[in-house]
Amino acid sequence: MIDRGAPVWRRIDDDRVTAAAGLAVDETLARGAERMPTLRLYTYASHCALVGRFQAVEHEVDVSACVRRGVAINRRPTGGGAILMGADQLGVALACAAADGDRPVHARDAMRRFSTGVVAGLAALGVDASFRGKNDVAVGGRKVAGLGLCRPARGGLLFHASILVDLDVPLMLDVLRTPFAAITAREVALVERRITTVRRERGDAVSVNAVRDAIAAGFADAFGVRLEPGAMDAAERDAAAAVERERYATDAWVDQRTDVSDGVGHASVRTASGTIAVRLASAGRLAKAVHIDGDFVAHDSAIADLEGRLRWHPLERDALVRTVDAVHAQWGADLSGVPAEALVDAVLAAAESSAPSTYGCFVNPEGVR
Amino acid sequence: MSHNIPPDRHYDGERHLWAHATDGARVVVGIDALGLESLGDLAYVKLVEPGTPVKRGDAIGTLEAAKMTSPVVAPASGVVAARNDAALRDPSIVNRDPYGDGWLVAIDATDWAADADHLVHGDAIGPWVDAEVERYRTEGWLE
Repeated sequence: MIDRGAPVWRRIDDDRVTAAAGLAVDETLARGAERMPTLRLYTYASHCALVGRFQAVEHEVDVSACVRRGVAINRRPTGGGAILMGADQLGVALACAAADGDRPVHARDAMRRFSTGVVAGLAALGVDASFRGKNDVAVGGRKVAGLGLCRPARGGLLFHASILVDLDVPLMLDVLRTPFAAITAREVALVERRITTVRRERGDAVSVNAVRDAIAAGFADAFGVRLEPGAMDAAERDAAAAVERERYATDAWVDQRTDVSDGVGHASVRTASGTIAVRLASAGRLAKAVHIDGDFVAHDSAIADLEGRLRWHPLERDALVRTVDAVHAQWGADLSGVPAEALVDAVLAAAESSAPSTYGCFVNPEGVR
Repeated sequence: MSHNIPPDRHYDGERHLWAHATDGARVVVGIDALGLESLGDLAYVKLVEPGTPVKRGDAIGTLEAAKMTSPVVAPASGVVAARNDAALRDPSIVNRDPYGDGWLVAIDATDWAADADHLVHGDAIGPWVDAEVERYRTEGWLE
């Protein structure tokens, strides 16, 4: 039953937006969010590669492959790794106030809180997903949606989610920079063991529109609001056009660099239950991606979950031990072939061996030896 | 660690940034321990170039942690006199030593006395910290 007294959020649906226009609209909505919270559910024109706020484009994206395949490149205002967006990936942008009453929204709490809308929407579709670590939504350890957050200087809060309704993994591997020498069925299978999609979980060809409506209902339920279909007004359209022209359509925005060095490393540790081989992609003293392989016995989903929890994780022993112990507590016997202490030793040894690299972080650094 | 809020500084109570007048009108700026507790381990830091004129409330940088980006907002008007290049290369310095080696920028303030009135300082720090710690506990971020 619709609660007519519930707070109102505007719902905007868009499809086939360009990368620059899509990002500019989100930022514009965030600036006006104090006046009108907006949930935007949209798809990009197939395809575009969007790097995280501070990533080096040439490390994350194969620019020549993007040109060859007509894939646009741009930079999100939110953090995290590079993603491929198109007609089968649902973008979620929630623009809302940066304060909850008189209290500023707590950064890490916001990510978890906003993910509840995504989780509720997926549950209505029969997909049993949950918030993982600090910033992913996963199904049985496999990532189904990535999350990001941006607090613009000019007010408001912007929550981003990219929901994988479906995913063209070979295309993703072609346009994002990976250390794979060639893309074969093996490489595709490696990625598919760590990522899932709504269609794969459901076993049908559910439409993007059906997912969109379910996610909208999920947010309405999770936040006790009523969604009213709407569109940007003329002033917002003008503002978005200016943001696109002055920021997202400029080389100065897309080609930014940071002083934090990317690196890759690898290490192996022998244990009574087998060898643990770790390959690591790092940004400064954080792990961007950790790939765990070897001849131990463990559940694929447990390994995928462990790798997901170690993304953007500090390469410090105490913090690693806490995280790995927490994953062990969750998976129990499914992860007993990967002793926590040995795994932490291997990750730190891989970090110690790390050398500067130009590889990105979306897929695991398989093949770096 | 999270209760470590030095009493000799001024604080932007909403953004959890500290400001410390060190040498006449030069004001050093950083993020406080509760702000770091909220953000987590920093992945990237971006700061404006020295020589940039700023007004109180302007964005003078951006921090990224756990896929959230958050602005560094100038607590004083003036000109950016210096930025911490070591923190740009290794943001973990900020997590390890937010009030020392992890400083972010220094501003030569044009009217620090007026800007300082907008910040939490002196006897107001204690009640502000107590309220913030209680909020963090309520939200489950502090034990």
